[in-house]
Amino acid sequence: MTLMERMRVLSEGTKYDSCNQSAVCHAFGPDGRCIQLYKTLMTNACSGECTYCPNRCGRDSVRASLTPEEIVKITWSFYRRNSIEGLFLSSGVIGDAERTAEKQLEVASLLRGQGFTGYIHIRVMPGTPKYLLEEIADYANKFGVNAETTSSLNYSEICPNFDYKNDVLQRLQWTRDLINKKRQEEGFKGRIIGANDTQFVVGALQEPDREIIGTVEKFMDRYELRRPYFMSFDPVPSTPLENNEPSPLWREVRLYQTSYLLKDYGLTANDLDNVLDDNGFLLDADPKMLLASCSPDMFPVNVNTASKDDLLRVPGIGPVGASRILQSRPISSEKELARMGVVLNRARPFIEINGKRQTNLFSFAGVSA
Amino acid sequence: MIVAFRENVGGVLLACAELMVNPDCDLISAKDSDDLKQKMDFTGIDDVKVLGFRGTTDTTKLVKYIFGKQLPRMFQGDPDVEGYVSMILRHRSSRPIELVSFLYSCQGNVELLYSGKSVTGKKYYNYMRDVNRSYHRLCMFARPYFVNGVLSVKVDSPHRIGDMFCRWLARKNPDIPISVIEGNIAWIGNGGHVGLEHYTQVPSSLVGSLEFSNACDDIDDMWDMYYDSQFIPKRRNKNHARQLQPKASASMSKMSERDSYKVERGIANCTLDNFVSQSEV
Repeated sequence: MTLMERMRVLSEGTKYDSCNQSAVCHAFGPDGRCIQLYKTLMTNACSGECTYCPNRCGRDSVRASLTPEEIVKITWSFYRRNSIEGLFLSSGVIGDAERTAEKQLEVASLLRGQGFTGYIHIRVMPGTPKYLLEEIADYANKFGVNAETTSSLNYSEICPNFDYKNDVLQRLQWTRDLINKKRQEEGFKGRIIGANDTQFVVGALQEPDREIIGTVEKFMDRYELRRPYFMSFDPVPSTPLENNEPSPLWREVRLYQTSYLLKDYGLTANDLDNVLDDNGFLLDADPKMLLASCSPDMFPVNVNTASKDDLLRVPGIGPVGASRILQSRPISSEKELARMGVVLNRARPFIEINGKRQTNLFSFAGVSA
Repeated sequence: MIVAFRENVGGVLLACAELMVNPDCDLISAKDSDDLKQKMDFTGIDDVKVLGFRGTTDTTKLVKYIFGKQLPRMFQGDPDVEGYVSMILRHRSSRPIELVSFLYSCQGNVELLYSGKSVTGKKYYNYMRDVNRSYHRLCMFARPYFVNGVLSVKVDSPHRIGDMFCRWLARKNPDIPISVIEGNIAWIGNGGHVGLEHYTQVPSSLVGSLEFSNACDDIDDMWDMYYDSQFIPKRRNKNHARQLQPKASASMSKMSERDSYKVERGIANCTLDNFVSQSEV
C-alpha cells in the first residue's frame, strides 16, 4: 500500500475520536465538525478483541501501519501549512499496551526533538505501564485512556482482554496525578497540559444514561475529569455486536449537554434525575429546559438581583452569559442581554427585568418554547 | 496649542493624557516622522508639541493615569485597553484623532469603551471586534507555502493585521523564516535565518530574493485525502458547516476553498478508481 492509502485507512480509523483542544480550528468537515489536529492510528492491526471495534483482531479488514517517522513527517507538513494545530495519536494494540506506548512515545519524542511546539494528544492503551505514562507526560500536552463504559462487568463484556479496574481506572488515576505534577513543575517547557479526559461508547450495551451520568460525575470528582467524550455505537459488520441496534445520535447530544451541566453549571447527577425516564434514559429534549420546566417555583429570575447559581438555571444563559450579567448590572433591556450572548427565545419565559416579566406568546399559551 | 501624536498605542494614549491637561489643544496625527514633517510643513506652524515619536512609552502607566485602577467589565475575549486601542488603530476606517477624543470623552470611565452605550463607543467596539475576527480568521484559514525555504503567505485583509499574523506564524515556526505579504510590503518573522533582523518589514518585491533552504511541500492531495477521511457521512450538516466556515473565509486559501466546495457540493463517495479496483478484485 502507498503512504497515501495507509494514511487514509488509519485516519478513517480515528474519525469518531473527539479530541477538540479549543484552540484555532483550521477547517470544518461537511458534518460541521472542526478539524484542528492530524488524527491517526499508528496501526489498525490490533491484538484486542473489543466486540464493537472495526479493528478487533480476527476481523477481515484492510490492515495498515505508519512508522513513527512517517507520522512525524506528515504532521510537520500539515503543521507548516497551518492546516492543523497538532497531532492526535491513537493506535490498535501492537502486541501489548507497553509496546504500543513505546511506539507512541517514539513519535512524540521525535517531534519534540525536531522542535515541534504544536499540540500532541496521545490516547494510550488500557494497561500502559506507569513508567511509560510518565515519559509520555514529558512530551504530550494531553494523554489519557478511554473508559468506554461504566463498570467492570460491562467492560469485560465489550473489552475482554483488559481489566477495567487495573487497566483503565488505575490509569485514569495515574494520568490525574501526572497532569497535576506536570502543571506544578516550574518551567515545564512552556507546554500547556490539558485536563484528564476519556471516551464512552454509548449504546453498545444496555447501560442506562443514569449510569453513564453517575460515572461521569464520579470520574469528575475522583479523577478530575474535565471532558468526557461520547461516541454513539454503530454496529460494525463481522463483529459480535453486528446485529445490535445503533444508538440514536440525539442520545450522544443529550449526554454532552448533561455533562456540561455537571461540569460548568454546578449540578449533580441527582439533580438530573428529573430529565430521565423511568428506565433511566434521557429524553430527546434539552435537559436544562426540562429541568427548568420541572421547577416553575424557581422562576422568573430577576436578572438584576439573582445569584450566579440562579442565573445558571435559566435556559439560554450559560456560564459566560451569567458572568457578563453579573459584571454589567443593572440591566435595563432585553437588547443588553442579547449582546451578552443570552439566547432570548429560550430565556424569555424564565426571567424578569426591573420587575417586568419577559413573556412571549408561547409561554402565554402555556407551551414551552 | 497643537499636539501632534504618532498613530500607535503610545501616541494615542499620550495625546489623550495631554488632552486631559489641555482640553483646548488641537490634534494632528502622523504615521511616522516623515509624515509628521510633511504635515507640519503643510500647516506652517512651529509651535507643536510632539508626542510618541521618540523613545518608548509605558502604556500601562498611561492607561492607569487616564482610566485609574478601575477594571473594565469587558467580556470574555475582549482585549484590555492597550489591546483595544491597538486593534482600533488597525481598522481600515479608524481615525486616530476621533479615537483620542473618544477616549478623553470617557472621562476615566473605562466601562464606556466596552459597553457600547454611546454611538461612538459602539462604533469603536465594533471596529475592535471586526479586527479581532479578521485576525482570528487569518489564523484559521491562511495557508502559507514554501518559497525558497521561506514560509510565505499573501494576506488580503481590509485591516492592517499582517504584522500580527506574521508574529503568530513566526512563534509557531521558530526554526524557519516567515514572510507575510500585505499589499506592497512584507513582514518578515524569524529574519535571523536569512540575515535580517528577527522581525522586520521589507518591500514585498524583495521577498523573492530571500533564500533559506530548498524545503518544499506538495501536500494538497494529502490534505484532500485527510479531509475526506474525517467526514462521517451520516452526520452531514451542511448548514452548520457553512455557518462555521462562510464563503468569505473559504476564499482565504486554495485549500480552504476546496474544503468549502466539498461542503457545498458534497463529497462523492466513489470515484472511477473505485470501479477499476473493484473489477480487478
